Amino acid sequence: MSATVRTQEEIAARVKALESMLIESGVMTTQAIDRMVEIYEHEVGPQLGAQVVVRAWTDPDFRARLVADASEACQELGISGLQGEDMVVVENTDTVHNIIVCTLCSCYPWPVLGLPPNWYKDPQYRAAITREPRKVLRESFGFTVPDDVEVRVWDSSSEMRYWVLPQRPAGTEDWSDEQLLALVTRDAMIGVGPVGAVA
Amino acid sequence: MLPAPYADAADLVAARNRITDLVCDLPEASPEQLSFEHPWEIRAFAMAVSAHRELGFDWTAFQQALITSISGWEERTGTSDRGWSYYEHWLAALESVLADLGLLSTDELGRQTRDVLAVPANRNHHEAHTEPIAVDPARLVHH
Repeated sequence: MSATVRTQEEIAARVKALESMLIESGVMTTQAIDRMVEIYEHEVGPQLGAQVVVRAWTDPDFRARLVADASEACQELGISGLQGEDMVVVENTDTVHNIIVCTLCSCYPWPVLGLPPNWYKDPQYRAAITREPRKVLRESFGFTVPDDVEVRVWDSSSEMRYWVLPQRPAGTEDWSDEQLLALVTRDAMIGVGPVGAVA
Repeated sequence: MLPAPYADAADLVAARNRITDLVCDLPEASPEQLSFEHPWEIRAFAMAVSAHRELGFDWTAFQQALITSISGWEERTGTSDRGWSYYEHWLAALESVLADLGLLSTDELGRQTRDVLAVPANRNHHEAHTEPIAVDPARLVHH
């Protein structure tokens, strides 16, 4: 290894270059790496976001504060991070479904959702979700947004990172926080999937 | 671009344990302390484990390369921990193992790294975008 000190940007670029070389030469697949990353994401990733969602579902005052200023409301729960200083929560309703994307790179609300899945950074997702959101949801994610619901696609940047507050499913009024937590998936908070099914 | 399938919990625990078995003999890393500060670290980590799985090389070769990289750094910097990055050594070890197997040219890696750096991926993304960038209106009247 060279003695030169590398910046984070340089080393991140080197990792990226190495990954594409190894994938190109067939040594490994993106899926294999994603699978591994997911194992670790699962530990620290989207559960924090899920906790925020459940709190919003069960506490209308908190929900109002969250929608007004997500970064500040998350701090109440001890969730903050350098990259989460300007988070904005967009709320799904009966008439509006929200999706997040980063059209240029991979801006993502790390503190609540962990590391972004690789497809989030895929140029195909970034372009197609803006052009034909309903079609991408249906064909790539198997998720159909009803025709009487408007779809809004929000572009996260390094200055403003969006994430989605999904709707609490009907029939869960008596559920415990723990049961509710199990319903909130990462994909639901990106807007590309539903919350879990209510058995 | 399909999302990776969600693992069920048992599957996940088993996979995690297999990785822990690999990692626990490495220098400076107990499995509990494996944590990631930057996104590239988790990808470098996952790449090494995937490469080991796909290529079946002897894991002790990776261990040895990691030890070599860390002790080289210690010799250069003395006892100061300034600039310490565990995963930088991890990456160096992975590069070294792959180069020894004849699967990687570090010159080529250097070139491709410069290409990646030359692309300003984040050029316009330092401004807030306060409106939806796409709206697909409701197709039916909502009742």
